[in-house]
Amino acid sequence: MGGVHAGHYDALPDSRVMAVLDIRLEAAERLAESYSASAYDNMEKMLAEEDIDIVSITTPTPYHKKCVLTAAAAGKHIFCEKPIAMTVEDGLEMTEACRKAGVAFMVGHVLRYFPEYAAAKAMIDKGAVGKVGMVRTSRGGSFPQASGDWYADKSKSGGLVLDMIIHDFDWLRWSLGDVIRVYAKGLVEKAGEHKDYALVTLRFANGAIAHVEGTWMRPDGFKTCLEVAGDKGLITFNNDDSAPIKLAFTGSGGAGNAVAVPNSPLAEEDDPYRLEIADFLKAIKSEEEPPISGEDAVEALKISLAVLESISTGQPVEVLR
Amino acid sequence: MMKRIRVGMMSFAHMHAGSYASCLEKMPQVELVGVADEDDARGRAAAEAHNTDYYKSYDSLLKQNLDGVVICSENYRHLEMTEMAAAAGADILCEKPISTNADDARKMIDLCRQAKVRLQTAFPCRFSPAVAQVRDIVREGRLGEIVAVKATNRGRMPGGWFVDSRLSGGGAIIDHTVHVADLLRWYTGAEAIEVYAEAGTMFNDIEAEDAGLLTISYDNGIFATLDTSWSRPKSFPTWGDVYMEFTGTEGVAGVDAFIQRLDHYSDENMSYGWAGWGSNTDMGLIRDWVDCLGSDREPSITGEDGLRALEVALAAYRSIASGKPECV
Repeated sequence: MGGVHAGHYDALPDSRVMAVLDIRLEAAERLAESYSASAYDNMEKMLAEEDIDIVSITTPTPYHKKCVLTAAAAGKHIFCEKPIAMTVEDGLEMTEACRKAGVAFMVGHVLRYFPEYAAAKAMIDKGAVGKVGMVRTSRGGSFPQASGDWYADKSKSGGLVLDMIIHDFDWLRWSLGDVIRVYAKGLVEKAGEHKDYALVTLRFANGAIAHVEGTWMRPDGFKTCLEVAGDKGLITFNNDDSAPIKLAFTGSGGAGNAVAVPNSPLAEEDDPYRLEIADFLKAIKSEEEPPISGEDAVEALKISLAVLESISTGQPVEVLR
Repeated sequence: MMKRIRVGMMSFAHMHAGSYASCLEKMPQVELVGVADEDDARGRAAAEAHNTDYYKSYDSLLKQNLDGVVICSENYRHLEMTEMAAAAGADILCEKPISTNADDARKMIDLCRQAKVRLQTAFPCRFSPAVAQVRDIVREGRLGEIVAVKATNRGRMPGGWFVDSRLSGGGAIIDHTVHVADLLRWYTGAEAIEVYAEAGTMFNDIEAEDAGLLTISYDNGIFATLDTSWSRPKSFPTWGDVYMEFTGTEGVAGVDAFIQRLDHYSDENMSYGWAGWGSNTDMGLIRDWVDCLGSDREPSITGEDGLRALEVALAAYRSIASGKPECV
């Protein structure tokens, strides 16, 4: 994700990449080279030596807190990947540290910038389905690969509930308001076996119900679905049906070559990651609160943690505001 | 010529009666003896549509030396209808859900056993070729070990007695839980042990619930969710769906029982609709039941099967009341 952020800062007119930090210096150097930037493996050193305004944090989740606190203490504006932290306490501490330091803080719940989800939210707001009753979302593909296989360590990633469907939780909260209660079943215990799956029921303060599916056990490509049913209409979306490009090649090898890959390209300026970073830069320049606050991220985290608790206890869990 | 199997229809209150009668009509070995219905207009229209006789009273129909009857009354009358049919010695195909409550369902099962008549629950989805094919895939272990199922059985709000819980037993949950609950037992051989549900009246100005979302835990560790909502708007291109997606350690399988269709866009009334061309699951159900009537075998889908599926819906209602997962 660091490479993605760097590409967008570089492409946007008001920002450029000055430095890249990674505990593996050679990885930092590789990325820094593309932007003629400096490479570091020590955050304090980078903050001391470089004249930078913003720090973008794309480490595995357990390291978010230390990075945010360090950057805030140095007076840097901070963009942090989701989930904000592994615990509510950490998330609140990070948010508070940024407020005290007077720096802008935004968390990358990027789903809000995906055009299909942004459009669905706008339609809900305009009353296109009337009063929303039942929402269904689905997200997932195969088990994610990452450096050090950190997704397989549920103490680091929290499995798909904390890492992936928190996107849907944030979007749902953004669109429908606060969640009061969750009930869920899932396989977070199997993360070590490179398997995870969850089926979640959310109840909202406004009475609506949502069903959220997350899977890292789907071998046929990454899929997302959304359905919003109200008393005056219905919105449905799935990424396969709306993909304008579908490719399938006759391979020289086995059956694996015949997998069809749908593709849904967007103009550069509509890229969701470009849009979220552009919004962050705009907020800093206009000295306004960034559109996705630390508090928003903590509320989404609370839902994920309640889901994990429900999976572990087998009971519904109240979500307290 | 071989003696024809004599079948009567008890009540056309449930809209599936028309489809079952049409299927029976198509079978040369069946004689559709008559339609009984206390609603004179409804009964006469049905009898005329299916080229058979109308009987004002159930007794007079049951005196016609019937081999079997199809019961499509309001759910709460299934017991009463079953008592009459069993007393007359007719085998029974009873519309789902088997009843509005477990006591009545158990009475139906017991009295049919005592009267030595065979009681079958109408679960036509088992006769969808796609549903049956995916069952084979699951049972052959091609998905590895099944861990979870995501299912929907949604529809438009049916109105009429379906939304009067005294007659139907509830709303969307009792109407749309039992098909998938039955299929999951049939697929996996597992029994539901616990149900959690959220529900509400979201889409229509009715008293009964029209939104239901169940989470069902099974005795073999599988968990499933089932959306039973009447959440399809009036403008939706079809009546609803029966969809199940199985996630296993070696793969996933989805089966959408009623997706085989033509998309139809019409300027006549500015509408878009589906024209289904899949195999008629009711025909499969009726063909199998008539085969049962003509033989000594047990029904493919018993009264107990109907009760097991009903119990999942009843546990969902208890969960809604208690706010907790409830044992089945």
